[in-house]
Amino acid sequence: MTETPAPLRDSAFVQALFDVVIPPSDDGKLPGAGSLGLASTLAAQLEADPVFGPPVQAGLQAVYNAALARDPAGFAALPPQARVEVVESQLGAHPMLMIGLTLHLYPAYYQHPRVLEGLGEPPRPPFPEGYDLEPTDPHLLEHLRTQPRT
Amino acid sequence: MANEPVGVLIVGAGASGAAFAWRIADMGLRVLCLEQGPWVKQSDYPSNNIDWESRGMGPFATSPNIRKLPADYPVNEQDSAISPLMFNAVGGSTILWAAHFPRFTPRDFRVKSDDGVADDWPIDYQTLEPYFAINDRMMGVSGLPGDPAYPYHEPPMPPLPLGKSGNVVAAGFQKLGWHWWPSDSAVTSREYEGRAPCINLGSCISGCAQGAKASTDITYWPAALRKGVEIRTGCRVREVTVRPDGMADGVLYYDEEGALQEQKAEIVVLACNGIGTPRLLLNSKSPQHPDGLANSSGLVGKNLMFHPYAAILGIFDEPLGGRRGPTGCSLWSHQFYETDRSRGFVRGYSFEAVRGFAPAQTSLWGMARGFVPWGEGHHQGFARIYDRTTGLLAITEDLPEEANTVTLDPELTDSHGIPAPKVNYRLSENSQKMLAHAVERAKEALTAAGAVETLAEPLMSAAGWHLMGTARMGKDPKTSVVNEWGRAHDARNLFIIDGSIFVTAGGVNPTSTIQALALYVADSIKKNIETLFD
Repeated sequence: MTETPAPLRDSAFVQALFDVVIPPSDDGKLPGAGSLGLASTLAAQLEADPVFGPPVQAGLQAVYNAALARDPAGFAALPPQARVEVVESQLGAHPMLMIGLTLHLYPAYYQHPRVLEGLGEPPRPPFPEGYDLEPTDPHLLEHLRTQPRT
Repeated sequence: MANEPVGVLIVGAGASGAAFAWRIADMGLRVLCLEQGPWVKQSDYPSNNIDWESRGMGPFATSPNIRKLPADYPVNEQDSAISPLMFNAVGGSTILWAAHFPRFTPRDFRVKSDDGVADDWPIDYQTLEPYFAINDRMMGVSGLPGDPAYPYHEPPMPPLPLGKSGNVVAAGFQKLGWHWWPSDSAVTSREYEGRAPCINLGSCISGCAQGAKASTDITYWPAALRKGVEIRTGCRVREVTVRPDGMADGVLYYDEEGALQEQKAEIVVLACNGIGTPRLLLNSKSPQHPDGLANSSGLVGKNLMFHPYAAILGIFDEPLGGRRGPTGCSLWSHQFYETDRSRGFVRGYSFEAVRGFAPAQTSLWGMARGFVPWGEGHHQGFARIYDRTTGLLAITEDLPEEANTVTLDPELTDSHGIPAPKVNYRLSENSQKMLAHAVERAKEALTAAGAVETLAEPLMSAAGWHLMGTARMGKDPKTSVVNEWGRAHDARNLFIIDGSIFVTAGGVNPTSTIQALALYVADSIKKNIETLFD
């Protein structure tokens, strides 16, 4: 079994970092990504991703360490703007960090039942209930019926 | 290990192999199909799960190089501007297709005569017309009769609803006075021969759990099996074997356990798509066919055609229904289909309207284009585009060029050690001009439809759905691989029925025409059976 990298085992760090990437919406309808328990999913995906996995993990470690250097209580203890600054301070050395992280975090977030509900989507698979579809505008069809046959 | 010989051996159980198997089954010969993939259960399709979007990007991705399933073989696409896509299973790529189902037009078969480019086909639309109709019934096609772009035909089911996005886009075309028509779609608009109607899952290209979308595992194959056709899955054919006189006499294949098997047959039929078929022919070298089977012309693997695609998206100020509805089945336009030399290119293209994105795809697409940043502004960026986009695909006619090829990779192999295909493909100047024209016209149409912003991907690299031309048909053995009814010039009991035999590509999706051809070849064999081996 592969060991989860240190930053992703620190739930406070994960929650705070994911909330930096996708914060709660101002109207409260959409949760922050940190509150959805996505850490283990992300860790597994990054382990399996040979392209983005290593640079993202290296970047996460760098953010983790930079936060500790700034405050011994770590990333989660920093005020919101300071968290953003810490992340941004590492992007020069770790340019793949946010690309790789969002590539995995965005889909995980936008398929979570709470997020789907917040978007006004039913929090379920498409099948078996399916969806309604607006019928064809009869005026459009009327126009087609006037076309000459070939 | 040797198996009992069969009359007809089909390699590949996809769009063409299934249609052919069903049609040939009543000839009185034992018919066997070897398929390298498995049967896929509808309960395994992504849309049964809430994370269906992610699953569609993994084990149900359209690229074999991403999926890397046991049934897949790798394709070296490093030197290709377009990535080949396919699916290996009973049903083949129809498992993952959008089921947009246009036929080729009559003029598509005579581009040399009409426009002085490429070659005419040795057959015409009228020859295939009865087979188009049979195929429409077998696949279950919904559509509106009377499209002036086509000879009159009546799909067996009424058209699918356009949905909000289709209505909006259609109104844009109408405003400009441009041709549009509800698509012929191989999707059920009502209950049809045991299949339930479409319920708008929006997940067509990762499999239809409803069974409303036609894939040949649920259309032709049940009917073919009832007629006595046998299918063996998990069987990868290594080569076609030949008799001393150069005629085909069967295949060598690896079975599900990896054991090498020999299967003799009186007639061998290849239905492995425009990449798999030339790969198999080139892997079938013998003293009688030193350059590969059926390759005395040197044209096996040459003249590869895709359909170069452009994707043009409009952002609107109103909700459009997102991805709900059949993905690629609302409407098409042939406004720019025929040659108009004032445009700076020959031949033309069609438009296919597509629906919007689901949430995860919206976020990824938005991230890649800078709409959906991380951090502050994330939700505003997402809200700007979610359920506010719809678009058009431009499907341009690729003309055959011998430099666009499928060859055998000198190093890359599949899991059985069989040399993998290597694709060399560059975009012609004609195609580039056509794509540029299409992008501008699509923006015009979307703007007329009410888009407040338009964006374009001028060449979709991951869009090699249509694989054509690599074993072309023709009457002259020096300039073609098979004759006008799919028989190899070099081996009279070898037939090819997939997109490989296309002479030109048209500017529309090819599956309807591929299947009509497969039915026509089956009937031609039946008609000529008494002299087939003379």
